[in-house]
Order: sequence, then structure tokens, then C-alpha cells
Amino acid sequence: MKITLRHFIILILAVIILLNIELLFNSIEMLLLFLVLLFSDFKQAVVQINISFVDYSISTLLIFMIPLLVLIFNKQLKILQDKLTFISAIITLLLTFTIFAPLTVSSNPNFQKDLRVTKLLTPFSTVQKLYLKKDKIKPASKLDSFIFKKNEVIKKSFSEDFIFVNSVKISGSNLIYTQKNKEIKIGKDKIEIKNGKPLIESKTFILGTDQYGRDILSRLIYGTRLSLFIGLGAVIVSFFIGIILGFIAGYTGGFFDSLLNRFTEMFLAFPILFLIIFIIAIFDSSIFSIILVLGVSGWMSLFKIVRAEVIKLKTKDFFITAKLIGLSNYKLLTKEVLPNIISPVVVNLVFLYGNVILAEAALSFLGLGAGNNYPSWGEMIQAGQSYITIAWWMIVFPGLMLFITLLTANELGRKIEHRFNSGIAI
Amino acid sequence: MNKEIILSLTKRLVTSIVVLLLMLSFLFVLLRYSPGDPTQKFISPKLSSKLVLKIKESFGLDKPVLKQYQSFLINLSTGDLGISYTYREPVTSVIGRYLPFTVIFSSLSFIIQISLGLFLALYSIKRKGSWIDTFIKKFSLSVYALPSFVTGVLLVYLFSWKLNLFPSSGLKSFDDQSLSFFGQLGDYTSHMILPLITLSLGGIAVFYKYLRDNLDETFNAHFVMNLRSYGVTEKEIIKKHVIPNSIGPMISVAGVELGILLSGALITEVIFGLPGMGRLAINAILGRDYPLIIGITFVSGVLIILSNLLADLVRAKLDRRIFQGMIN
Repeated sequence: MKITLRHFIILILAVIILLNIELLFNSIEMLLLFLVLLFSDFKQAVVQINISFVDYSISTLLIFMIPLLVLIFNKQLKILQDKLTFISAIITLLLTFTIFAPLTVSSNPNFQKDLRVTKLLTPFSTVQKLYLKKDKIKPASKLDSFIFKKNEVIKKSFSEDFIFVNSVKISGSNLIYTQKNKEIKIGKDKIEIKNGKPLIESKTFILGTDQYGRDILSRLIYGTRLSLFIGLGAVIVSFFIGIILGFIAGYTGGFFDSLLNRFTEMFLAFPILFLIIFIIAIFDSSIFSIILVLGVSGWMSLFKIVRAEVIKLKTKDFFITAKLIGLSNYKLLTKEVLPNIISPVVVNLVFLYGNVILAEAALSFLGLGAGNNYPSWGEMIQAGQSYITIAWWMIVFPGLMLFITLLTANELGRKIEHRFNSGIAI
Repeated sequence: MNKEIILSLTKRLVTSIVVLLLMLSFLFVLLRYSPGDPTQKFISPKLSSKLVLKIKESFGLDKPVLKQYQSFLINLSTGDLGISYTYREPVTSVIGRYLPFTVIFSSLSFIIQISLGLFLALYSIKRKGSWIDTFIKKFSLSVYALPSFVTGVLLVYLFSWKLNLFPSSGLKSFDDQSLSFFGQLGDYTSHMILPLITLSLGGIAVFYKYLRDNLDETFNAHFVMNLRSYGVTEKEIIKKHVIPNSIGPMISVAGVELGILLSGALITEVIFGLPGMGRLAINAILGRDYPLIIGITFVSGVLIILSNLLADLVRAKLDRRIFQGMIN
């Protein structure tokens, strides 16, 4: 039996579900509580909606829905029955990281605590998690119970529930823990006790931590999300600009054509990285401005392709007929032009996607990224530069991630190009 | 024939000037309507309002934008790009300080990219199908996917820190004045090796890919088979027929690449702390040094257009058909 893409997807999702079974139960409970709240106290419920809540809810719903969808649409989607290749496996993994980021990370990407213990840990180093005693408050209303559940589910960037320690000793009624050469005594009454023993868990940082004690693996996973999201957004922007301008230039010809050509040449003659940096530095550096700028700076090759193809198509009989029938320009573009030029456009877009991801990482590397709320691979590499002599893992892992993503994008582009050129339809 | 060449070159020159003007005007408008005030950093709250106005006047920012644009165009036509706000000297002399390094550095890198790409492509196409061909092919794909900032940082880690072979940043050592001429040359060389590797790797992979694909195509063409059947030596076929016939697309790519290189290797300059156009541009942008930004864009734009023109000329020289196409 050959291993198909469908098996791989289901395997990965099953692993995620098994690893997060407790969290998922809590999450479903949170959703139910939210539904209850929505019907009892609509205003309060709406106030409680924020990005991380939506994120967690969507992840929870999708993780059960996608396996079902895969099983249902198994027959229709031929791509699911393709043999698993390296590229498709990587793409699946990257997409999983993007969609299920909240479930695949072990902690919030910005989580930091007890720097003395967690700073610059090597990969696979383990620290102890000592839980402190919490005052238990009974939820007084539906709103309270929802909020408590939400706090339980959503991984936050800070927590007072526990401390990171290197080792723990019990002596009489006290507990002595060490935090990097420093011994601290703490009364047993301040510690969470479970089955007569203090509650201690060990936590392993698989890829180590950075200079602020943040888990690198979690940051990498959230970085995937940022990279893929910015890439997708920018490619869509480029697609629309390139297609529309290319169509206008090719279709109308004459003055508009030469004007648009000069305009494109102007963009090509710009040192494009400077233009991007210029706009981001002077105007704004949020995710959306980065998407817009990267999109605006990448449409030129698409314009050239579309224009050339439209000029070729313009003289074809079916196009002239369609025009004479009286199709609107929009219909001409979507019904007659797009299906005919889709293959070079898709290839171009996939290569563009790789370039955009690279450009985003380069921008973050130069300190012009989307801000500190969103971890980005480029920014991680830049931070690692200062610690290059003591913490190689801060550079190597994000670099590797970026490398694999770009390699996959390029390979995918080549594969699609090959497929289209050999005349075999997907 | 000569008349036609001159005509087509003039046409090209005119379009280039139009494109450049369009670009500078676009940038000018963008700058003047962007948020932030470049005079702000020279003004302290203690200054009287008269002095503040005077500073604005000295920057020429007090006049209406249309008037500023007018004087900008007039100055541009006389070759005057204005005075840099931060450096307090003519933009041309600031750029003149940074441009030589960038030109030398990028030309070196460009030569390395072209020659290594060509060499590797020929080397692997001659051994087509062997393991070494496959290896170079796969390796070039991975090198192409490796971002230059990752390569640069890792090279610093490996060669400067672990092996302590090359210096990690700068253009020369502190004590380079005491060295002899050859000592200084060696000093420069050891400083340039890592940046050159960082800058060139990606380009080598690109040139290799384009060349190998085209070489492969040409080697399978009928005329090569024909030449072989005539008994022309393999060396001569490669030198006289295969390379000129498959180098065309690569030259276009090379033109674009040269333009990008000449406008400053920003990432490499940042990693290795080199004084090039890329960092100058960034500092100008972050310091809102309007005349300098426009000056740098102008110079870069000219260089990009020139290198594209150069590529087209080389292609036309190699292939009469393209030459005919250019004239018509």
C-alpha cells in the first residue's frame, strides 16, 4: 500500500489531537460556555471576542472538521490520493503550523518567565516547573465561568501560576529550589500540593530558548503563520495589480499601453528593496502595510506575462467572437483571458510567493518587520546575531525553517511549471 | 545602418530619461506628502520661532510643493542634486564617497558569479547524468533557496568565530596604516572574502541554473549533431557554437542582476558593516534626508538602466536577430 497525502494529513491531525486532548476538551467547553453566554448576555459575549479567542475556536473546530472533510471529499479531490512526496509533506506541515498554531505550540510565543533560569537554554534542555498555590474562586456568573475557561485554554504571554526552577529539594516544612546558583527557601503552604507531594512538572525546550527565555519552537511555529500570511496577502495584491494592468495594457493598446509600459519600467528601474524600506520606514510598519508594499513591488513580471498573452489572444477568433457577442470587459477577463493564461500566471505566482517570504524575512532582519507582537523568522535571526558566539540555535533553526520554506516554494514552482509545460492536465 | 543604430539608441535614451523623471517625480511627491518632518531633529524647543523658520528656509521646505518641485527640476538639469540634510555637503560628494566601494565590490561579485556559474554549468553539462552533475544541480537549488543573511551570519559564525580565519566586519584593520602596500592589499582581501561569498552564492546558483538549462537545450539541437557529424572537435563546438547560442537569456538575467548589485548589497553591507550605497540609502531613509534619498535613487536608477542597456547591447552583439529586432 502506498502512503498518500490523505494518510499523512490524517496522521498529523491525529497526533495533534492526541497531544492536546485535554486542551481540546477545555476548548470545546469554552465554546459551549460562549454559546450559552451569547444567548443570555449578548453584549458581554461580543465584548469577550478577541483575536486569540477566535484563533483558538477556529483551530478547535477545524481540527475535527478537516479529517472529516478529507474522508468525505476523498474521491473528488484527486490531489489527496497522490503519493506522499517530500514537498507535499513539507507543505502540509507548514499549513498545519499556520492553521493550528495555537495547538501545536507548547507555550505562547512571547511567554517569558524567570529569565535567570530560562535565558539562552540549549536545545533539549529541561527545567522544572514548580506550581504555586492559587486561590480558588468559584465562578459567580456565566460570564465568570466563561472567562475562567478562556484563561485556562488560551496560552498567555505571562503566568503567575508557576515558576521555572533548576532543581527542587524538600527539607521539613520548607522547599528549597535553585535558580541558577541561587537557593531560595519557600514554605510548603505556598506550593500547590497534589497527592501529598508538591506539584512539579518538567518542561523541555526542544529547540532551546532565546535571550528573553522564550521558547524558540513556539516562535518558529508562529513565525510560519506570519510568513505564509504575508506571502499570501502580497501575492494576492500582486495578482490583482498585474492582471488588471496587464489586461488594460494588452487589450486597449495604444497610448494606455505605452504609458503603463513606462510605469512598469519605472518600477523595474527602482532599487526595489529601497522602495519597500522607504515606504515602510516613512509611513507605517504594520502587517497590512507590509503586505501592501510587498504586493505593490512584485507585480511587474506578472504584468509583462499577462500583457504579452492578451496581445496574442486579442487576434484569436474566439476572443473576437466573445467581444462581438457583447461580453463586458470583466467577463472577457475572467471567462476568456484568465483560463487561457492561468498556467504561466500560477507558476509566476508560486515563485513570487517564495520571493515575498524572503523579502519579508529580509525586512524583519533589518528591523523593519511587523512589530514585536508577531515573531518572525528574520527578526529571530537578527536577534541571534548578537548572541552568535554563545547561542547558535537562535540562528540555525529559523534559518533552516526559512531555507526549507523557500526550497519548497521554488520546487513547487518548478513542478507546476513542468506539469503545465509537458501538457498534462492536473 | 549606423543611422538606424543611433536612432534606436536615441529612442532608448529618451524613454530612459522619461522613466527616470517619472521615478524621481513619484518619489518627490511621496516624500513631500509623507508624515514626519526632516527639520524636526535640528530643532530644539528652546529655539525661537524665527530660527525654526530659518532652518526650514535653509532646507527649502517653506515654499509650496510645486515651487520646490520646480527648483528641484531646474537643479537636476544642471546636475545639482541638492545638499544633504545630515551630512551638510552636496549629495553628489556624499554619494561619491560611497559609490566607489559599491562599484568595486559588486563588480567583483558579479565577475565571480558569472565566471563560476559558467564554469560550473559547463563542468556539469559535460558530465551530464553522472552523480557529480546531479549533485551540483541539487546543491545549486539549495544554495538558491538560502537567504543571504542566513549564509552571511553562519559564515561569520564558522570562519570568524570558530576557525578565526577571517575578520567578521569592516573594510580594513585598525593598524592597516603600518602595513606595506601588499600587506594592505592582503588585509583588504581577507576582509572582503566573507562578504563576497555571501553576496555571490545566490547569483552563482541563478546563473548556473539558467545556463545549464540552455546549454542542455542547445546540446540537443540538430545543428550541434550536424556539426559533430562533420567532425568538428567537441571543444570547438562548445566554444564557437554552443555557448554563444545558449548564453542569451543569461545575459538578460545578468543585466538585471548587475543593476541590483550596483544599487547596493544592503543585507551583506549590514551584516559585515561595510560602507556601501545600501547602508547609505537606509540611513538616508531613516534620517529623512530627502535630497540624499532622491540622489541615491537617481544614481541607482541610472545604474540599473545602464546595466540593462549593456546587457541588451551584448546580446545584440552576439545575435544579429536580436540586433535587427532592436532596430525595428
